[in-house]
Amino acid sequence: MALPPPDPQFVLRGTSAAVHTLHFSCGGQEPDVPILFSGSENGFIHVWNLKTHRVDTALDGHGRKSVYCVETMGDKTRLLSQGRDQRICLWDLAEGRTAVTDSVFTENVGFCRCSLLTVAQGRWLMAMAAKALEEVQVLELPSKTSVCTLKPEAGAKLGMPMCLKLWQLSSGSQPLLLAGYEDGSVVLWNLSMGKPLSQLACHQEPVMSLDFDSEKTKGISGSSEKVLSIWSLNEQQNLQVYKTHNLVNAGISDITIRPDKKIVATAGWDHRIRIFGWKKLKPLAVLDYHTATVHCVSFSNHKNPRERLLAAGSKDHRISIWSIYTQT
Amino acid sequence: MAVFDTPREAFGALRPACVRLTRAQTAENVWRLAARLAAVSGPALQELQEYVLFPLRFALRAPGPRRERLVQSAVRCIASVLAATAVRRPELLRELLSELCACLGPGPGPGPGAPAPPAEDVKLAVTEALHTLLHSASGDVVLSLYQPSTLPLLGFAVSLLLGLAEQERAKQLKVSALKCLQVLVLQCDCPEHQPLGDDEAQQCGDLFASFLPGISISLSRVVTGDIKQGHKPTVSAIRLFYLVVGLVMADAQLARVPKSKEKLPEKQSRISELMVHRGPDWSKSTAEKLSLLLHKMVEFSSVHPHWKVRLELVELVHHLLRNCSHSLGDSFTHLLKALVGLVNDESSEVQSRCNEVLRGIAEQRIIAQSRALADVLSENLHSLATALPRLMSSQDDTGKVSTLSLLLGYLKLLGPKINVVLNSASHLHRLSKALMQVLELDVTDVKIVEDRRWGCEGALQPGVQKGRCQKKYFRFFTEEKVFQLLQQVCRVLGYYGNLYLLVDHFMGLYSESATYRKQAAMVLNELIAGAAGVGVDVLQEREVSPNVDDLKGSVTSILDEYTDQANWYLITSIDTEEVSHEQRAVHHTGLPARAGGVCSTVLLPSPEPHATTRTMNSNIWQMCIQLEGVGCFAAVLGKEFRLLLLTALYPVLEKAGDKTLLVSETALGTLADMCEACGYGSVQLLINDNSDYLVNGISLGLRQLAQQPRASRVLDTMLRHSDASLLPLVEDVIQDVLSTLDQCYNSQASTFLRVLHSVMAALVQWFGSSYSEEQQQQSTEYQSRTSSQGPRAVTAQGMERFFLDYVRQKQMAEGDVSDTGDEEADEVPHLGKPEPNNCDTEGEAPLPSHAQLAKDVLERCIHLLSDRSLRVRLKVLDVLELCVMVLHPHGNHLLPMAHRAWPALVTRLIGDDPLAVLRAFKVLCTLAQKCGDFLRQRFSRDVLPKLTSSLLSQAPASARAGPVYNHTLAFKLQLAVLQGLGSLCEKLDMGESDLNKVADACLIYLSAKQPRKLQEAAQSVFLHLMAVDPDRTWLLLTETCCPHGYEPPHVSLRPVKLGGMGRQRHELTDNVLLLLERLRQRESAAQESPP
Repeated sequence: MALPPPDPQFVLRGTSAAVHTLHFSCGGQEPDVPILFSGSENGFIHVWNLKTHRVDTALDGHGRKSVYCVETMGDKTRLLSQGRDQRICLWDLAEGRTAVTDSVFTENVGFCRCSLLTVAQGRWLMAMAAKALEEVQVLELPSKTSVCTLKPEAGAKLGMPMCLKLWQLSSGSQPLLLAGYEDGSVVLWNLSMGKPLSQLACHQEPVMSLDFDSEKTKGISGSSEKVLSIWSLNEQQNLQVYKTHNLVNAGISDITIRPDKKIVATAGWDHRIRIFGWKKLKPLAVLDYHTATVHCVSFSNHKNPRERLLAAGSKDHRISIWSIYTQT
Repeated sequence: MAVFDTPREAFGALRPACVRLTRAQTAENVWRLAARLAAVSGPALQELQEYVLFPLRFALRAPGPRRERLVQSAVRCIASVLAATAVRRPELLRELLSELCACLGPGPGPGPGAPAPPAEDVKLAVTEALHTLLHSASGDVVLSLYQPSTLPLLGFAVSLLLGLAEQERAKQLKVSALKCLQVLVLQCDCPEHQPLGDDEAQQCGDLFASFLPGISISLSRVVTGDIKQGHKPTVSAIRLFYLVVGLVMADAQLARVPKSKEKLPEKQSRISELMVHRGPDWSKSTAEKLSLLLHKMVEFSSVHPHWKVRLELVELVHHLLRNCSHSLGDSFTHLLKALVGLVNDESSEVQSRCNEVLRGIAEQRIIAQSRALADVLSENLHSLATALPRLMSSQDDTGKVSTLSLLLGYLKLLGPKINVVLNSASHLHRLSKALMQVLELDVTDVKIVEDRRWGCEGALQPGVQKGRCQKKYFRFFTEEKVFQLLQQVCRVLGYYGNLYLLVDHFMGLYSESATYRKQAAMVLNELIAGAAGVGVDVLQEREVSPNVDDLKGSVTSILDEYTDQANWYLITSIDTEEVSHEQRAVHHTGLPARAGGVCSTVLLPSPEPHATTRTMNSNIWQMCIQLEGVGCFAAVLGKEFRLLLLTALYPVLEKAGDKTLLVSETALGTLADMCEACGYGSVQLLINDNSDYLVNGISLGLRQLAQQPRASRVLDTMLRHSDASLLPLVEDVIQDVLSTLDQCYNSQASTFLRVLHSVMAALVQWFGSSYSEEQQQQSTEYQSRTSSQGPRAVTAQGMERFFLDYVRQKQMAEGDVSDTGDEEADEVPHLGKPEPNNCDTEGEAPLPSHAQLAKDVLERCIHLLSDRSLRVRLKVLDVLELCVMVLHPHGNHLLPMAHRAWPALVTRLIGDDPLAVLRAFKVLCTLAQKCGDFLRQRFSRDVLPKLTSSLLSQAPASARAGPVYNHTLAFKLQLAVLQGLGSLCEKLDMGESDLNKVADACLIYLSAKQPRKLQEAAQSVFLHLMAVDPDRTWLLLTETCCPHGYEPPHVSLRPVKLGGMGRQRHELTDNVLLLLERLRQRESAAQESPP
């Protein structure tokens, strides 16, 4: 008989608003405490100390508009956040500072999370939905110079980009972009040519979230339907549907593949977090704690595997922290 | 007083006496000389020293049988001369010594018959003289005595003196002989003597080595001799013993002894045979022999009744340890044992000296430097640990104290070397087993299990009371001292020992078997305290104190083990509520225990259906020890413990609400410790500041059925100690509670109702001020209204106005409204307008969160009002009342809820158990305060008839009943209804007919036959009725009984006839008269104070 699903290891309370995005920063050396960043609907980014389980600082930089993407750039002292005020802010948090050093005005009204890729020490590529509805713009950070603008062919009717994933096969190789669109298709873009390499209609409904495993060249996407779609990229760089997985309840708001590529976590509109084995998409657990839509799931990057965590943020203002490494 | 200062004068004075003495050796002559001597000054006498001494010596050597008196006086006189002068000639010293010694021996040969030994007086005089002689000789002169050539003479003296010390019976003489001997071996402790130089000491050591066997054997005999000889000789003998042994066996000297014997010049060859060569062989064999003697002496004197002897023993150990730690290595087994054992001597002098010595030893690192001694100690420790269990079960408490202090002493002495012992598995094993056995608790006391904590109101006192350990009862000892020693043993172990090793080992024992669990936990607690250096009494500082991280690591692992489900949730009572819930929960869910998870599927120790008192007692103690441990860890870590609050606070708080008195008390102590350690001023602050941690625990706990009662208990405690600032957190968790409750109305309702009750109580407390203010305001308003309404004095004008009003109203009632139509038209919209306005503004504003919470709770209460269990219904009614109070200021939310709750409430009021009726009535009263209008009609329709009829039907019963009736439920119900009805009528502003009903029902309770309390309650009803309608009440009362007639103010008016006039005194009379009087007072008071 299967084990009963575990309880959360801890629940972080106190954002006093729905939590939209989470990001761990646990890679530091011993004296550094592991940290979790959370972005919430009231425009605050909370910095959670995972030792005391309390908020260390609350960053306010998006004019009380919902923050829906938070990423660290390198270590935990540089932070990128994206909010509904159509701005992407770069933060300097070193030595306790809480200053916005730079910001990018996206002019995009959607809620497509940007995607960040480290291309070299201190250099990043960032893909974000652009002002024009169907376009995706790629910038180089920190210089903010535009690398390319990816515009679908006229008549493609993809709709707005919903989710983005920048990746490269190995470090130094050509970065590629996977984008999920409003019409349910996933498109692989070549950045240097600015041309789509492949397009795959995965869903009937808008793609809400996708993640991609560059080792197995396999990706997963979820939409507002009851289906998870797994697709793969063959040598000819064509996207193919590999498998679909039917869910009980419709609506996936976030999908994350664990950094070790063994399991996948999904955040469901049905208030549940689901864990699957990545290889065969075998359902492993349903984590039931939240009382409202789960908006995001995130895995920590702690050095010690036993201390790695899964965090989920929900509309019910809570962030649940789970320890599922000990089991799998 | 010296008269003769110059030698010449002195000579003149002394000469005759000396001459006379030389001629006739009589005691009288000696005395005469002595008298003269007294008048001669020291310097003068020095010149004449030998001159004066001559006749005296001559007298001693006088041929023929010795005359005791003469000898004695002569010796005394010599002594007095010597005391005043100094011996400057080595020959003189030698001669005098031998002459004096000769006096001690049996008389010289020529005397007839058996030579009688000299009398004691003489011996005493001689020993004293010897003493004086040796003191009067100056340094060089004395040293000249200690040449190989004088060995025979010295030997003679020594043996004589030893003989005296050993064989004489007179205490004084013994002491004197020993003292003299001490001087003779150059170990006098008077300050004039200069310490010997190294070479001289070496030389003397060589000489005295020859005497060592004799001296040591004789002295040991003195020491172990008859106890009746008193302590002084023993003390002196011990001192002399260690001085001599310390000199001869001194490590420093032995190290310098050449390999082979020195060749002495030829002529001294005979003497050189007497000399001993202190080579390695000699010292080894001597040490063996001395070891035997020492053993005997130590055995004997460590239990000597006189403390000075024991003190001297301490000195002996000290001296020998300092000087001969190598040469006498083997003896230290006994010596250290004695020393360590004396640490807890009953005499404080011995104790303190002993401690001092031990500290000295430790500080000088004698043990640490000498492997041999460390080996000896660890050997001792091992054998003691082996014997410990046996000793502990066989010895009485005093024996245990001494055994344990011995153990403690060894550990302290070993100091940092303890680790050598601990690293040996067998040592550690034995030691820990011994501790486990000794620390076994007595778990037979039933009282511990029986003692329950009642009520939860006073759960946590606001102030911090220092957590102190609960007094424990042990199986093998009762004395507190024994426990303290054991505590010290553990702490010292923790202080010096390798903490990781120890914690690991005892954790192993902790989890190994339930029998050791409590003891192991106790030891672990003390280890940590010791490691942090808390309350340890040690002899030497450790080299490295563990850093906070190590300590924290150990504490964290112990804490995890303690608060593990299997070790934390133990059955401590057969409380039906708790256990049945927990067991039921297990049955219900049938969840398998999940191994290893991070959190919490319940791992109840398989519910033993028949938990014996013994196991429960044992569990209770385990809980207490673990809680004490948590407190101790907090104290040790101080502010660092704040991080651990995350894991520790919730479990402790859980236990603070435990029903078992001992557990909850201990947990409270732990909380106090935590407060102090983490720098919180009070438990309240602690809880307040960490409520996020608690809320997390509660929220997770609520997810497990079996944990729910505990989680709710913690929430309960938390709520009682937090304030409104925590509302967001509380709200969060209450939502959890409500949703959990929604899932299991049947099984857990009573558990959660308790929580809801405390939530609502907290809300009332936090936000209730507005409520009470309002209430006050209302009542004052009401009073002013009533007083203004109250009829004026019956003046002619007043009466006139009254009648005019009456007529006008009557006209209006009959439809003749022509005049007054305008007025009314004005009034109606005026009244009508503000209400919808009011409603709108209130309805639009979002409900404050606490009120929303109350509303949510109220919603649940409505469902639960008709629960099957009476207990639940009662609780629900309580919660309902609180909800109403919180919702009080938000009328337009309260009224719909009241509307929904009404049917269920009515059922409670009219058709339920009397207890429920009672509570429901209380709720009704509270509800009435707010929704008067709303309730009036419903009340008079649904409830009042039932209430009045029950009052009426019960009245005869209560009138008949005896005093026991006061304790029945029926009585309480009557009382409650009567007490509440009055104010209810007033609040609801009831109509005439209802008031009549009430009055009718209550009137019979004014009967003197009714129980006193009911009468009073009925009076209160009428007092309220008076407030509503004084005239009617007056009329009603006077119908029953009217004390005086009323003269009509005008002849044109008809005389007043009231029903009660002229009646006989009957059962109602007294109360009615009282009420009428009160009514009169009210009226006159209203008259006096202008509106």
